[in-house]
Amino acid sequence: MNEEQQLIGEMARRMLDDHCGPEVVDRAEQGDYPAALWTLLADNGLTTLGIEEALGGAGGTFGDALVVLREAGRKAAPLPLAETLLAGQVLSLLGQKLPEGPMAFGQGAVTLDDEGQLKGAVHGVKFARHCKTLLVAAKRGDAWVICQIAAESVGLTEGKDLAGEARDDLDVLVQVQPEACFAIDEAGLDAVLVWGAAMRSVMMAGALEEALAATVGYALERKQFGKAIAKFQAIQQQLAIFATHVAASTRAAETLMVQGEVASIDVAIAKARIGEAAGICAEIAHQVHGAIGYTRDHRLNHLTRRLWAWRDAFGHEAYWQERLGRAMLADEAGDLWQQVTALG
Amino acid sequence: MFQGMNFAPAQLPAELESLRAEVREFLNAETDWQPNSDFNAGASPEFSRRFAAKGWIGMTWPKAYGGGGRSFLERYVVTEELLAAGAPVGCHWIADRQSGPLLLKFGTEAQKQQFLPGIIAGESFYSIGMSEPDTGSDLASIRTSAVQVPGGWCLNGSKIWTSNAHLNHFMVTLVRTAPATENRHEGMSQFIVPIDADGVTVRGIDNLAGEQDFNQIFFDDVFIADDQVVGAPGNGWAQVMSELAYERSGPERFLSAFRVLAEFGKSLQNGATESQARLYGQLVAHLVVLRRMSISIASLLEAGLMPDTEAALIKDLGNSYERLVPEVVRLYLPGQVPKGLAQALEECVLHAPSFTLRGGTREILRGMIARGLGLR
Repeated sequence: MNEEQQLIGEMARRMLDDHCGPEVVDRAEQGDYPAALWTLLADNGLTTLGIEEALGGAGGTFGDALVVLREAGRKAAPLPLAETLLAGQVLSLLGQKLPEGPMAFGQGAVTLDDEGQLKGAVHGVKFARHCKTLLVAAKRGDAWVICQIAAESVGLTEGKDLAGEARDDLDVLVQVQPEACFAIDEAGLDAVLVWGAAMRSVMMAGALEEALAATVGYALERKQFGKAIAKFQAIQQQLAIFATHVAASTRAAETLMVQGEVASIDVAIAKARIGEAAGICAEIAHQVHGAIGYTRDHRLNHLTRRLWAWRDAFGHEAYWQERLGRAMLADEAGDLWQQVTALG
Repeated sequence: MFQGMNFAPAQLPAELESLRAEVREFLNAETDWQPNSDFNAGASPEFSRRFAAKGWIGMTWPKAYGGGGRSFLERYVVTEELLAAGAPVGCHWIADRQSGPLLLKFGTEAQKQQFLPGIIAGESFYSIGMSEPDTGSDLASIRTSAVQVPGGWCLNGSKIWTSNAHLNHFMVTLVRTAPATENRHEGMSQFIVPIDADGVTVRGIDNLAGEQDFNQIFFDDVFIADDQVVGAPGNGWAQVMSELAYERSGPERFLSAFRVLAEFGKSLQNGATESQARLYGQLVAHLVVLRRMSISIASLLEAGLMPDTEAALIKDLGNSYERLVPEVVRLYLPGQVPKGLAQALEECVLHAPSFTLRGGTREILRGMIARGLGLR
């Protein structure tokens, strides 16, 4: 990471350390949305990072946004940060200015007819109830469009994901103006998936680093048989395995951060690899924490429940493994070793 | 308290690609060996001499001794190309990776003059003498010992699992030169033992695959002149430990099963099922990330750092990956298994147990990682 990214990361970490403790995460799950934290991040440009200033963004690269999202993952920040940054990328792709406030992108069974009526249902839009603007992907005939609508214009059924974060279903029936509808092709929609997967990858990497630190800390504190459980080889070996997967995840995530525009093949590698690590590491984290880690009172669940949710979002590891495998096999130009070394 | 480990993204400089092309060209012209990406599985003195003629043994060593004066990252490129191609690197491997650098760091000027040119020419090959019949992971428990005699030392004992000792000329041997004290790591020294010296006997041991690649070697009143002691007597442990990051973070720690994966990929060129494509993608993702981690460490080594914990971590993760590849590929073979794939798979299955033993067992490595995490 470059020096600027280090600074961005430190700034985000400081803000989240100060304002996103475990109690904030717990309260958010009870419905107490940390609006002040959102304002703090927004005022410092962290919610529009990676989008050029001419479009109302804070400038910087997509990789810079990923640096912030790793910190958000570390602190389990219960905010539509990834959602807003992703929607911002979509608008940037479409050459549109950013509106004020949190946003989310949603894709489901929605159509836009010739009279400009947007109609259909979108399931599972993260943080939709906290957003001001929604970007809805819809079919207009055989083609895709993105419609920018006010969040308050849709019917909303509240739900939550594995992590207890807001995840709502949308019932859309709204008249949209032509100037709020933008054509997008399949490649554009695929880019959304790739960006989303990159974001969840780095968030998982952050959560994994934090979970390892928390588990090591717990093993050093917790005493059984007259000594810290960290002194038992059985525990040490498990935590060493944990560390190997965290290190691999960090490396895969940082590969994305140092790229200005992420390469989809590196996102496939990251989402597949980190998604695999998430399951392995969450299991070890819970095993080492014992029963206390299986409670809502203990903060480990903030991280592990998010790992379980995020590994399935924007394509689980099997999806990205197959996609990566097929991409490698489709390239007849090079043999595997040439492909691997070309990836750097 | 837990400290993060350092795998900061690093890339091989683009200008190394011409070197990579040169190595590939050299390897493409090679015809008289069967590829095997396990670095321990092939040894050919002829190949090592041809390779040396290109200037690729001792390529990072000072030009004053005939070395190439090139960077550690350049060596990384050459090394990974050799392994990916499955070249028979066994003869020069240890001398190039370990014995030469050891002499450069701790040897006398006379030793450098005497031993390095032969290594660089691909004429003299080295073994490592560490394990003994009663000493495996607990290296400090060695019993091979030497007592001082006029002009040198008298060596007695035995070393085991020494790869290619029957082809090699010298063995850098860890020996107890003073009785163990409370600090078990004191009192050890490293000797350069000519394998053809009086009193040295080599006995081959067939490995599980039926190949004779490792040996037991016996020392029976072997005279070691003072000028064959590497570094200060008693400094052996520190010297052995100083090379671990080089030994453990290189591409040989995750490429041993590469040929299986490459042949598997070739066999899927005309169509892969969902499961096959998924498995191939999973194994490629692991490989790419491992290589990137290894290059991160190579860059730290190039910068003069000694990231021992990170190196242990790569070896553990890489070895686990090498063990995984044959275990899962065998379940998703195409209906007609091409001969190359079948052969690579059989070889890999038979060699796999050694991957997580050689150069530090999985359990020892995980102990080191645990230490790095602050657990012990």
